[in-house]
Amino acid sequence: MHRMAAFLSGISIVCFAASYGVALACEASRLVFRSGVRGAVMVFFAAAGLVAHTLFLGWRAAASGTLPLSSPFDWYLLAAWVLAVAYLWLALANPKTPIGLFLLPVILGLVGAATVASREPFLHDAASLFWGRVHGAFHLVWSVSVVLGAIAGSMWLLQAWRLTVKSSSAGGLRLPSLERLEHVTSRTPAIAAWAATAGFASGLILNAVNHRRGLMETVPWTDPVVMRMGLVVAWLIVASQWAAMARRRPGGGRVMAWLSLASLVVMAGSIAWGLAGTTRHGRPAESPLGVADAEVVR
Amino acid sequence: MMLALVGATHRTVPLALRERLAFTAEQAADALARFRDRFPGREGVLLSTCNRVEFYAAGEAEVAAPPVEELLSFLAECRGLEAAALAPVLSREHDEAVVRHLFSVAAGLDSMVLGEPQILSQVKQAWTIAQDNRTAGPLTAGMFQAALRTAKRVATETALGRERVSIPSVAVAEFASSVFERFDDKRILLIGAGKMAAETLRYLRAAGGRDVVIVNRTASRADDLAARLGAKPASFDELERELAAADLVVSTTGSSEPVVSLDLFDRAEAHREGRPLVVLDLAVPRDFDPRVGERPGVWLSCVDDLAEACDANRRSRQRELPRALAIVDEETSRFMGDMHHRSTAPVIEQLRAGWSETGEAELERLFRRLPHLDDRDRDEIRQSFDRYAAKMLHPPLASLRSESHAGPPHGLLDALKRLFNLKD
Repeated sequence: MHRMAAFLSGISIVCFAASYGVALACEASRLVFRSGVRGAVMVFFAAAGLVAHTLFLGWRAAASGTLPLSSPFDWYLLAAWVLAVAYLWLALANPKTPIGLFLLPVILGLVGAATVASREPFLHDAASLFWGRVHGAFHLVWSVSVVLGAIAGSMWLLQAWRLTVKSSSAGGLRLPSLERLEHVTSRTPAIAAWAATAGFASGLILNAVNHRRGLMETVPWTDPVVMRMGLVVAWLIVASQWAAMARRRPGGGRVMAWLSLASLVVMAGSIAWGLAGTTRHGRPAESPLGVADAEVVR
Repeated sequence: MMLALVGATHRTVPLALRERLAFTAEQAADALARFRDRFPGREGVLLSTCNRVEFYAAGEAEVAAPPVEELLSFLAECRGLEAAALAPVLSREHDEAVVRHLFSVAAGLDSMVLGEPQILSQVKQAWTIAQDNRTAGPLTAGMFQAALRTAKRVATETALGRERVSIPSVAVAEFASSVFERFDDKRILLIGAGKMAAETLRYLRAAGGRDVVIVNRTASRADDLAARLGAKPASFDELERELAAADLVVSTTGSSEPVVSLDLFDRAEAHREGRPLVVLDLAVPRDFDPRVGERPGVWLSCVDDLAEACDANRRSRQRELPRALAIVDEETSRFMGDMHHRSTAPVIEQLRAGWSETGEAELERLFRRLPHLDDRDRDEIRQSFDRYAAKMLHPPLASLRSESHAGPPHGLLDALKRLFNLKD
């Protein structure tokens, strides 16, 4: 038992980041040469990374006695984990599609963001724990939806460009059909908009609960986190409506692809704003203001 | 000589002669039965396709493969032709060249369309016919299995067979499939009822296309083709309505004027509800006004676009050729090394038997002098002797294996025979 604990506690971020890095290198090598064993090597490293990633999050959850959503650090790693599961599934279902070239850099980016994010857990009691989990889970859903939508959108634009220039292959890449990619880009804006709205609403409830119990100061409407989330929610609602209208119009696929990419840009802008601004979000009542934590969408 | 080949391919023999030389499956079986009677103990495989007729023969030791001239006469005789007429055009190969040729053929490197995959199933079929007619044997088995392995390696390690090279196949498999994930829920409209339309529809059917409508100026031709291909005919007057309903259009008319003008398309577009449209304009002159391709949601490819893609794919295949040939070379060397090593088996067998015999005699003598040894001690001593013999034999056998990769190790075999007093 002690040995197992020692083993689990020895798993570091480097373990799974390195595995994902090798899988990305294998994906990139598709552009250079063909290989009969590359697919197996790629899946092996991605799966090994995912196992290490899962054990790492599981160990943290077991050690803290809560879900791995209790700090910005955990949140980033959980988002990366969800995308890694999606990657492994897509890589197995579509072995000829270089999905990892688009998805693995995002996963590695999230893991990288986790390393600079705060590991300090948010304060909670029994009531705020529930709303905190709801809040964090909805934010996870919309963020992952935006990332997946943007990846599908970028592949759509690349595939459309290839068709426009009448190229039979784009540097050896086999991309999914426009129809399949539109299937993703037409759905992710609505999912992201609903989840972001629910996340925002649950955040307001969480704020009220925490304030009533004296756990935290009230986060004002002018707080950067609240403002940027408000803008993100507004954008995602507009984007989802825009995408729904475009779907029935000629050239709607292109509009949906750009909207998906724009949502990613809005999300990235929100992250940058969060890193630069000061916030009371997630701070205890006694905590001095000033330094912004690296928490972004929670 | 262990391996021999006599053959005619599209490179060297004109179609008229290849047609006369070609074997049906029944004729091939009959020829192999005759081969078995004429060359008992030898192995033979007959590969006959529309681009080649090749006879592979093999034999070992005293029953070596038949001389190629005899093989040529046999082939001519089977098809009722004069051997003298065939002699100048048929190619003849021996041993390593036979292996290299078969590996190249199986990998599609000797095909008319470089890298085409159908030849592999024809090679497999030829091998099956030889097995059924009991002319296959260990040598040809090893060679054909290695040929299949080579073809698989070329297919997986190079992009040789990956890109398509005919206009209809590129149109469907690369352009239409890049837009649509599936075709079974799409309305396909064929404008024109020519050969190209039928050929393209064949690929669309293979990709799952079911709902097909054919529109042609001459209604009877549309009816004929529709009946032949299981499609629905429609009047040419209904073109606008069909265009509005279609997801994919293949146009192949011989019209000198555009069949689908921008105005006509715009009228149809108003009823399309924004659905994307793939247009494969395979007609010359073009059937679609090129400006249609600039409309949002329309993916228009004309014959020149597709021909460019085909040429690019051909060039891509050519670029892969050196890598494919390197694989063929590697597999040929490997197979020849194994085959040469196989020829050393009798000497190795004698060598091992000699050591074993001497060892047994020594052990018997030892056990007689040491009667107090129990079974366990005896087994220990016996195992030591065996290990000693294996270690002593390892260097010469390893040298023999290593030498086999460069060719038949005659010198080393002679040396071993003389040193260890082995008999032929």
